[in-house]
Amino acid sequence: MLGTMYSILSPGGNVQSGARIPSLALDQQLHLYRLMCLNRRVDDQMIRLQRQGRLGFYVGSQGEEAAIIGSAFALEPRDWVVPCYRELGAALVKGFPLIDLFSQFFGNSRDLTKGRQMPNHYANHDLRVTSISSPVGSQIPHAIGLALGARLAGNDDVALVYFGDGATSQGDFHVATNFAGVFKTPTILFCRNNQWAISVPVESQTASRNMAVKATAYGIEGVRVDGNDIFAVYDVTSKAVAKARRGEGPTLIEAVTYRRGGHSTSDDPNSYRDDAEVEPWIERDPILRFRLYLTRQGHWDDDKEQALEDEVRATIRNSLDEAFRSGPPSLDTVFEDVYDEMPWHLREQMESVCTPEEFQTVEQGT
Amino acid sequence: MGIKGPTTEQLLDMYAAMWRIRLFEEQAEYQSGQGKVLGALHTYIGQEAVGVGICAHLTDADYITSTHRGHGHCISKGADVRRMMAELFGRVTGYCKGKGGSMHIADFAVGMLGANGIVAGGFGLATGAGLAAQVRESGQVAVCFFGDGAVNRGPFHENINLGAVWRLPVVYVCENNQYAQWTPQEEITLVTDVASMSSAYGIPGAQVDGMDVLSVYQAAGEAVDRARRGEGPTLLECKTYRFHGHNFGDPQQYRTKEEISDWSGQHDPIQGLGDHLQREGVLTAEEAESIRNSVQEEIAGAVRFADESPYPGPEELTRDVFSTPVA
Repeated sequence: MLGTMYSILSPGGNVQSGARIPSLALDQQLHLYRLMCLNRRVDDQMIRLQRQGRLGFYVGSQGEEAAIIGSAFALEPRDWVVPCYRELGAALVKGFPLIDLFSQFFGNSRDLTKGRQMPNHYANHDLRVTSISSPVGSQIPHAIGLALGARLAGNDDVALVYFGDGATSQGDFHVATNFAGVFKTPTILFCRNNQWAISVPVESQTASRNMAVKATAYGIEGVRVDGNDIFAVYDVTSKAVAKARRGEGPTLIEAVTYRRGGHSTSDDPNSYRDDAEVEPWIERDPILRFRLYLTRQGHWDDDKEQALEDEVRATIRNSLDEAFRSGPPSLDTVFEDVYDEMPWHLREQMESVCTPEEFQTVEQGT
Repeated sequence: MGIKGPTTEQLLDMYAAMWRIRLFEEQAEYQSGQGKVLGALHTYIGQEAVGVGICAHLTDADYITSTHRGHGHCISKGADVRRMMAELFGRVTGYCKGKGGSMHIADFAVGMLGANGIVAGGFGLATGAGLAAQVRESGQVAVCFFGDGAVNRGPFHENINLGAVWRLPVVYVCENNQYAQWTPQEEITLVTDVASMSSAYGIPGAQVDGMDVLSVYQAAGEAVDRARRGEGPTLLECKTYRFHGHNFGDPQQYRTKEEISDWSGQHDPIQGLGDHLQREGVLTAEEAESIRNSVQEEIAGAVRFADESPYPGPEELTRDVFSTPVA
């Protein structure tokens, strides 16, 4: 199932013979470790809230943190992240404030998307994180377009697009990757091969021997990397980013990982897969692997772990409290952002559904 | 390997079929110039060896899907040239009662599921036909014909992937004539050898000289046999060339006259087979001439049939649209 792939750390956190740790300062390494832990905790917390009926929907990324965070960390702030729907970690790397993410999840008055999107569909163009794209694979052409746009504008920004193994079967993957190859767009096509497309296992997804080999059909480079190895992911993505920035075109990266949880909170994986299949992936946990490495290097211990745990919990708690305090968006926002100047019939509707007092009440969040 | 034939009888049939396509198309272009053909016309001249070499392995029960350049596929699969010409002329005796025209000819009786005006429109139909054959365990095979332009469209990717993973009895045949309408292939893909893309789908790929009907026959035989044995699809690329424009009236400013005359002069598939048969002593020059003349008569008959047929009446407007006719 795993096949040949590039790795630096063994599952036990040892440096593989002949492998070199990418040049990351210790504070960068600890920052990455914190983001992975934060990502895991946010996931746990949101899934709990969803089970309690306090959140409509959530998509977790347990077990895929290294693939997501390691790749996003290879980008500059000016580069684009074009997510699928399981890349909370990339948003965190980009500096997406927790309060903005949580406000989107709850669709409250602080939500940048004004409560109009499904939960988990955050976006922040100032941070160059485009909207989560639920239609499978539809974000790939967007990323190619952003990259082409950057090149036409004469700058060297790149776009990194995330998609799953299921998306590789979509026409959008095909047309976009071909286009990227022909026009050498500065794009990184990052496939999180987490082995499952909702309930479809990767063996039923394609007859090709892996995802990276698909690059040959487009005349571009394909790379296969251990997606649970933060250093390996960072390393291959950095090289792909540098190549794209030099104007040498796109790279298809296949990060081999595993979706440990359900597809989303609306899914029960017990109905289509065995728990026994998940077991080995708990041993291959990306956070544990990184922690074992840091510990061996003398950079980490139980006290530091506990302190980080406390800090992460408190950070999440504070942002959650703040998000809960904000009420729903005011009713008049329903009428915004469609016309530059509101036509008379919409104004009439707006006035019929909300009086000025009601606007105020709604805005106060009662 | 291990593909038997073609027998002498098959060789002569293939020779006649290629002439049938060539002369049908030449006549269609002439009649289009006379204003008799309603709508656009895309001729198969130069590509005859592909349709003929592949369909030689198929029976009426097997399926094919076609493209906007579909006359050659229709004729290769055994469609009636009279009803085809009538359809081009917009007459009620045509395959679609004169309501479809050149790009919509279908003949289910011979397994021809239809020409298709949509680039890459045949993939889903052929893959579905293959799935139906697999589910019914009927032993039928479906062949999907498409051009090099269609390779860069989503349905190519989605259907070949699905056909591969479900091991469907489908042969995906790329007629790589090197131009997607007016666009040279190398401008729109980095991989000009389409057969090599098969590795991305985990299926075999084969590339043949699409101007040589015997090469096509051999490669197609292996792909069709493999499909029939239940071993899944093959991506078969036939390198070919259309001698005329994308459509009748195309000024062809995107390629040189020398390039065209080089292909039509050096690589004519009909001349190639004719020479081969004469060298092998299967056919004399007189017999070759006689085959051509007899096909020419057949095509002249098709034109007469079309000319003498009426146009559809106004009552046809609402027919074949809803199962319950509109009152």
